[in-house]
Amino acid sequence: MTDTIIAEGLTRVFNGTVRAVDGISFSVHDGEVFGFLGPNGAGKTTTLSMLTAVLGLTAGRATVDGLDVREHPHDLKQRIGLVFQESTADQDLTGRENLVLAAALFGVPLRDTPKRVDDLLGRLALADSADRLVKTYSGGMRRRLELAVGIIHSPHVLFLDEPTLGLDPQGRAGFWKIIGELRKDTGMTVFLTTHYLDEADGMCDRIAIIDHGKIVATGTPSELKDRLGGDVVTVRPLGGDRAALETALKALPGVTSVSPQDGTFRVKCPSGETLIPRIVGAATNLGISLGGVSLRRPSLDEVFLEFTGREFREDEGPTATDRAVFMSRFQDARRGRR
Amino acid sequence: MNARRWGALTRRELLKLLRNPAAIVTSLMLPILYLVLFGQGFNFTSSLSYLPPNERTAALNALLLGAPNYFSYFAAGMVGFVGVTATLFVGANVIFDKLFGTLKRTAASPATATDIFGARLVAGSLQPVGLAFLVLGLAILLGHVGLSGLQPSIGVTVVGAVEIVLSILLLSLMFASLFLALGFTIDQPQTYFALVNAINLPVLLTSAALYPWGAMPTWLQNVASYNPVTLTVEVIRINLFGGTFYPQPALVYLGGLIAWAVAMFAIATLLVRRALAPKV
Repeated sequence: MTDTIIAEGLTRVFNGTVRAVDGISFSVHDGEVFGFLGPNGAGKTTTLSMLTAVLGLTAGRATVDGLDVREHPHDLKQRIGLVFQESTADQDLTGRENLVLAAALFGVPLRDTPKRVDDLLGRLALADSADRLVKTYSGGMRRRLELAVGIIHSPHVLFLDEPTLGLDPQGRAGFWKIIGELRKDTGMTVFLTTHYLDEADGMCDRIAIIDHGKIVATGTPSELKDRLGGDVVTVRPLGGDRAALETALKALPGVTSVSPQDGTFRVKCPSGETLIPRIVGAATNLGISLGGVSLRRPSLDEVFLEFTGREFREDEGPTATDRAVFMSRFQDARRGRR
Repeated sequence: MNARRWGALTRRELLKLLRNPAAIVTSLMLPILYLVLFGQGFNFTSSLSYLPPNERTAALNALLLGAPNYFSYFAAGMVGFVGVTATLFVGANVIFDKLFGTLKRTAASPATATDIFGARLVAGSLQPVGLAFLVLGLAILLGHVGLSGLQPSIGVTVVGAVEIVLSILLLSLMFASLFLALGFTIDQPQTYFALVNAINLPVLLTSAALYPWGAMPTWLQNVASYNPVTLTVEVIRINLFGGTFYPQPALVYLGGLIAWAVAMFAIATLLVRRALAPKV
């Protein structure tokens, strides 16, 4: 299997100190959907920006579709499609005018342009509103137009940066249905950043989990879940001898590991349902009251927790990177430069 | 530069312009206000009527370099000044395109900085030429509705008309380059408009667009001689009122404008390329 995207030691440092992406290496196989999963500020969009020649690399090397992103940015932009997280269509133009403009920018042959534009408008359910100004479009329509602009030139590799951000569940499902169909028809490679766990789980052939600029795990969703070693039972004691409880939990049959975390114990086992009564029994024998016992089946949420040591939250506060980038932009704006 | 990309981007700019008549009206507002208020109120030449005709003519020629009255002299200045006011928005549009993400999309496409800058420059420079002729028409029309109006003293030749168009085009190219460079370099609309105001008024007030040349102190004449607005209005006035009182022919002033336009274009190209390059 050939690799369409290869990243080696990819690094991006802002302001000389903040390592937004910290020496990551990975590869994306031809024709697969590769998901970059992580919370806000983890380095997902920075990585995507470097791979699409929008942002320079501080260190490392990356090739996309055989082209070095540093040496051939212009040729690269011709071959890839890019869907931003925000709407970038010109609101003062109609949907059709935006697509015709994109066709010219990406070099779609002039004679093929009308048919290609009409095909995409039809396929993305925008035909009826094709001649309306984009400023009158709904959020879902703008997302679909954004996708149409991104694939106007039938790219071999499609980059999607949080493509369903702000869409309702129905809109998200519709968007992914279209991506699935396109992929089936064209076999394009898709690189996706998301912080929606269900999206990554359902859509991606392989996933890299990124946190604080580093990749902490890579694999298929199944492989990552398998690495958890089965179910996870979280036990919350309300006091008592925690060390004795940990020892007792480790001694229970079927338990593969016990790890303390934020006042709880995460107990891994093949079957959580049968283990719970034993856990309660062990705690009772030690005279320890339990504040709660919860069972979680293997999920990417658990995978994230396993590899990063913290819960995955979709809307975390600003990270150090966010703050550094914001301050840099704020200072640049004050100085009157970009 | 790729002709198709450049053409598509220019078409986009022109379409947006046509769909935004408010920008056109705003571009015309300043020159029109000057024409119907300042020009009418300051048309001092009637106050020289006490002079004998030959002395009056000599005084007018010394002050207005061949223009028949102050309003005509001044109106020609306003026609040239449109080349500045009508290009203000090209830079503002870049900032709004940054804020709305449109520029991000274009910059992520195979379009080069030259395509992106060139398209905006052409669209931004063509518009003022049309608007300048609207102001010229209005200035002449005012004379037919009981107000002071522009009165050309000589018949405008084809070459003269071409020189007028060229002068406005060159001034527009220069200021469109300047405002585009600002637009690509600055992110905040407030900063942009503050800078534009800081440029706009001094450029007007250090030019010969408003002042009777003969009434200007020598130091201001020296400053104004190099002002691109002065160079433009001199080309316009020579072709409307004759070149007898001008030290140089219109072609020399056009040469000065070309030098300004080329210099500003070169600076703007460097700044825009830097702004659109992948951030290192």
